[in-house]
Amino acid sequence: MGVAEIRGLCKEYPAFKLRDVSFDLNSGRISGFIGRNGAGKTTTIKSILNLVHPSDGEIRYFGLPLLGNEAEIKKRIGYSTGAVNYYPRKKLRDVAAVTRSFYPNWDEAAYEEYLKLFRLDEQKSPSELSEGMKVKCNLLLALSHGAEILILDEPTSGLDPFSRDELTDIFLMLKERGTAVLFSTHITSDLEKCADDIIYIREGRMIAASTVEAFRGYYSNYGDTLEAIMLRLEREARYA
Amino acid sequence: MLKLLNKEIKLSASKLSFLFIAFAALTMAPGYPILLGAFFISFGLFQSFQHAREANDIVYSALLPISKADVVKSKYVFCVFIELLGFLLMAALTLVRMTLLKDAAVYRENVLMNANLVFLGFALLIFGIFNSVFIGGFFKTAYYFGKPFIFFIVTAFIAVCAGEAIHHVPGLEAVNSFGFEVLPLQAAVLISGAVIYAALTILSMRASIKSFEKIDL
Repeated sequence: MGVAEIRGLCKEYPAFKLRDVSFDLNSGRISGFIGRNGAGKTTTIKSILNLVHPSDGEIRYFGLPLLGNEAEIKKRIGYSTGAVNYYPRKKLRDVAAVTRSFYPNWDEAAYEEYLKLFRLDEQKSPSELSEGMKVKCNLLLALSHGAEILILDEPTSGLDPFSRDELTDIFLMLKERGTAVLFSTHITSDLEKCADDIIYIREGRMIAASTVEAFRGYYSNYGDTLEAIMLRLEREARYA
Repeated sequence: MLKLLNKEIKLSASKLSFLFIAFAALTMAPGYPILLGAFFISFGLFQSFQHAREANDIVYSALLPISKADVVKSKYVFCVFIELLGFLLMAALTLVRMTLLKDAAVYRENVLMNANLVFLGFALLIFGIFNSVFIGGFFKTAYYFGKPFIFFIVTAFIAVCAGEAIHHVPGLEAVNSFGFEVLPLQAAVLISGAVIYAALTILSMRASIKSFEKIDL
């Protein structure tokens, strides 16, 4: 049983439908969530965080349904995105101080450790930081309450290759510590280095949810990279 | 709830919300529509909603380990906190005008509303309108606040005009009494204002909690 179980997730918008998305997240494993822009990755992530309301499906964390246990579950999960920054004009120290007050499981030692690891200055506000540092800023808050599940929506978008490499190293370190990581991206090369599982979505439909090895075994031709596999599958779908 | 209020004060609020409490001092302005003090304090609160939207405050709050209802409650608690601070300042200044300055010529010759308990009742009505019309309107989308703010301006303007002019209606001169004259009437209007304020705020908060539960962020 995974630490998170998503079953038959559906969400209907006037111009887009997410259909029957199911996958598990497991402790100490990194799940790469791939698909083109607009495939439904962010909708899926927002649905499993209850930021949008699924039309159908079941979302369970730690064996508990999300609905009815939201506050308790959110103490144990962390979320970060490369696209949104909170309180751009507030000092990181002030945002952390408020965030800390909501988490009884806040780990001050971990906060100090990640602060040093990410080379973040508490006196700076997000508006003074580069895109890569903003992502780390979000990650710092998500990680400092000992999140057992980390949900990351395109955290490497807009980052330079070196920063992306740094981040994937951090994900590997978290994996070693037993954290389950869901990492959405359309930059599949980031997943070559760190992903254990692949969840592949196209136009709101699940194409695959398996280990990287099984995914490669099923779709790969002569040792293709994940990017080559995805490009081929997308082209095949377009001309089908 | 204290944690939520702390979050609102430290992260979400605009400094203008606190600075605009000073508009309560309009209570002392002679020949001025003093009810506008409550309107300007509400305008300061509007600045916090603008500030919060720019800072992605609603999404940040929704991701905290709290219920969605608490996200809504935190906004109401903050607004009530600022409104009551403004009201207390207005009340203190009103008492000064009702006692030490009750015979001051500059206030006696005022054609607009006098600072008395009736004024305080109307001030609470304006705060209640803000909570009901503006905050309630905002939480229909948790994003757009243009229309709710225009509706608030129109409704509050009508309430200010009514409050400032009501004593010119034949038979209602007593609402503009000085000092503690006609105290039962003054107290009745103040109590009515307080009841309306509480009712508008509570009903609006309940409706906002329902709306916010349905919104996709």
